[in-house]
Amino acid sequence: MTILSLQKISKKYSQAKDFAVNDVSFDVKEGEILALVGESGSGKTTLLRLIAGLEHPDSGSISLSGQVIVEGKKSVPAHERQVGMVFQDYALFPHLTILDNVKFGIKKSMGDRSQIAKNTLELVGLKEDDTKYPHQLSGGQQQRVALARAIAPNPKILLMDEPFSNLDALLKDQVREEIRQIIKKTGITAIFVTHDTKDALSTADRIAILHKGYLQQIDIPKELYENPVNPYVANFFGKRNEIFATPAEEGFYTSFGFVMDPEAKKHKHPVRLIFRPEHAEVVQRPGQQLSGKIVKTSYFGSHQMVKIEDEDGKQVTIRTNPGRSFEGMEQAFFYLWKYDVEEAF
Amino acid sequence: MNILKRNYYWWNKWTGYSLLILLLVVTPLFTIFIKLFDSPGGSWQHIANSLLFGYFQNTVFLLLGVAFFTFLIGVSTAWLVSNYEFPGRKYFEWLLILPLGFPGYIMAYTYVGIFDYTGPVQVFLRNNFDINFQGSVIDLMNLPGAIFILSITLYPYVFLISRASFLQQSKTMQEASFLLGANRLKTFFKVALPMARPAIVAGIALASMEVLNDYGTVKYFGVNTFTTGIFRAWFSMGDVTTAIYLAAILMVFVFLILYLESRQRGNRQFAAVTGLHKPTARLIPSLGKKLLYTGICTFIFLLSFLFPFFQLLHWVSMTYHKVVNQDFFLLIYRSFGLAAVSGLVIVFLAVVLLYALRLSPFQWVKNITKISTLGYAIPGAVIAVGVMIPFLALDKWIYGTLFSSTAGLLFSGTLFTLVFAYIVRFMAVGYNPVEAGFQKIGIHVNEASRLLGVRSTKTLWKIDLPLIKTSLVSGVLLVFVDVLKELPLTLILRPFNFQTLATKTFDMATNEMIAESSNAALIIILTGIIPIILLNRMIMKRGKEEKPKISG
Repeated sequence: MTILSLQKISKKYSQAKDFAVNDVSFDVKEGEILALVGESGSGKTTLLRLIAGLEHPDSGSISLSGQVIVEGKKSVPAHERQVGMVFQDYALFPHLTILDNVKFGIKKSMGDRSQIAKNTLELVGLKEDDTKYPHQLSGGQQQRVALARAIAPNPKILLMDEPFSNLDALLKDQVREEIRQIIKKTGITAIFVTHDTKDALSTADRIAILHKGYLQQIDIPKELYENPVNPYVANFFGKRNEIFATPAEEGFYTSFGFVMDPEAKKHKHPVRLIFRPEHAEVVQRPGQQLSGKIVKTSYFGSHQMVKIEDEDGKQVTIRTNPGRSFEGMEQAFFYLWKYDVEEAF
Repeated sequence: MNILKRNYYWWNKWTGYSLLILLLVVTPLFTIFIKLFDSPGGSWQHIANSLLFGYFQNTVFLLLGVAFFTFLIGVSTAWLVSNYEFPGRKYFEWLLILPLGFPGYIMAYTYVGIFDYTGPVQVFLRNNFDINFQGSVIDLMNLPGAIFILSITLYPYVFLISRASFLQQSKTMQEASFLLGANRLKTFFKVALPMARPAIVAGIALASMEVLNDYGTVKYFGVNTFTTGIFRAWFSMGDVTTAIYLAAILMVFVFLILYLESRQRGNRQFAAVTGLHKPTARLIPSLGKKLLYTGICTFIFLLSFLFPFFQLLHWVSMTYHKVVNQDFFLLIYRSFGLAAVSGLVIVFLAVVLLYALRLSPFQWVKNITKISTLGYAIPGAVIAVGVMIPFLALDKWIYGTLFSSTAGLLFSGTLFTLVFAYIVRFMAVGYNPVEAGFQKIGIHVNEASRLLGVRSTKTLWKIDLPLIKTSLVSGVLLVFVDVLKELPLTLILRPFNFQTLATKTFDMATNEMIAESSNAALIIILTGIIPIILLNRMIMKRGKEEKPKISG
């Protein structure tokens, strides 16, 4: 069931030249976690603020759980929307204790406010610290307080602005999993903004890619990775190699060698073969494979990347397992086990 | 589809309140502008022919003279205390600001008293060296005298701002200069001074505004400027339009100074770009220089504060038994009450204006809200004229239509009018700390509260105001002191027979009761010193902890 629906939302800031958000429409299903991914300036944070009611769109409409909250010049003010938000800087109230911070948004009609706040703090694992003040907590703990404060009033939707950006790399993996667990436990619908594809892939059920205010694609991670609608989305999830190829009866001729492919005969014109570094395999022995000169190998611990060059200096990058040694090798042989064929021009 | 109650997104009541306040605050300025198109009053011709050139000449010389001396005193002392270690340096950092608590007119009477026949200088010379003078030792009652008085009371503006600028200049920048072979003196002229220039000019501009605002000093010294001209036209000749013409010319001066100040600043950014800005390590000079520097600072401090302060204390000890009675306490009570009410009202209005701005999605709201602070640049006499006229018209209208009579005063000449004029003049004083407070806490806490279902008014009470408490208190305090010192505006707009400490001091001093006037003066000065010390602490802290934020 759809809980949030954006229809043709556009927003331009008064001094800016371009639209921050341009004709964006999408639906969010109840209980899912959606990641808004884009570079800085892609409009992702603006989109979040539009949903929260902190900004008003120039055009378009938004409805939340069956009620229109934005349409034309009219809008439901932020405090009536029942939207929870975790700010990038957490925005905890420094003059209130942790318990009072979490209690702040809980209505009397919901029951014992202190008890609800305590339960929520327990959920995020901060039961013991409720009499402390925000500045006495670590960054990670502050974030969990912010999360508790946002979900305690039982909002219709939870918004999070760059929730993982202030955490160091070691903590990040752990926090990502914790937060996903907490959100899933409460069953709340959540949207979070991030510039880091790893955050999105590991935490979100669906991902929306934004670029220059336009929504590029919204789908589950696997689909985005395997069937990107355009090069921008494809490149967003890591490097892609491109090699030019001439189709023949039984395959493609490329500058690295011949690629067997019975489908090749369908193409009449030159094409590009597009593949990710992990969709090729470096092999030991020469055979029916592609080959090139090894230019560089880079070691990353969990894997290594090999750069291979053809006679014209065109390079491709291939991922291999970290145990492999290329010492003393000048030539590498590889084959593609997955690639897309695109018209060259 | 079910539709919730919806509002226009751009409307909230705060925008409405804010526009209302702005409208009221700009009315006086607008009035002066409109009235300029009336035909000039009867005495205008007379003033234009015989006095205008003198007003012009005196005002310009006064401005130039004060600018020169405040620059000389302010920048040199600021450089010494921020770059050299010498005995008493730590104390001079705040001692040299104390003259800010001395209103110009009080400094003027006090210095005249010091050089008078019965003053300490003549008594000393007479008793020890048997030297006698005809009249005063040094005749201060002229233009150079006014320049001297205003310079020693206003140099702290330049001192404060340029010291802050010197403190903010990064250590590395000056070290780079030393390493390139420049000595301290060359570094001062080639690096530190040019970098501090926008700040110094801003300080001089502030001092110039105060010069244009001054009435007490020039009146007492018989130097005719535009401010005294306004008073003369208004009180002696009863010629409102002429007063407005003069006020308008004075406004031209103000805008010229504002324009020059903003132009010299340009788009340049003089603050250090890096976050690394440890204050420059202070140099320890040779013994002789140490004594010299201590001497210079001591001399300035004696001249600008200690001598006149002791003179006041001396007078108080002579006259307090005559002056300090029930009436005097009533005077204090009234003055403090008036200042406190003004402070509270101004900070309240500033909070409304700035909260509307905080919630508003529009840039233009920001631009027009700033207009409310314009009054601080405008001389009190001008504001008084601009406030008086609409209120007189309002009274006339009310009595004409409601009571069918032609005479009667409902607003004009009441405390209401006076407080309103203070609001127009001192809005900036309360506005700036509140604005800084809001900026410091950021918008996210406010947004977080509203997203938690708390409406804007309650959010203001529960989140914003508690977090900017210190700013609110310092705003009230700063307005309080400024109102307490204010003279020209109060003189024009006070209710009949209503006295404040400032007007009482002025009245007594101009009626040859200088010694007696010192009691009220001392209270003004002592009250004024408290926020100066607080302000200085704030500035020093900022110089030490925060990243430089002054930008062009």
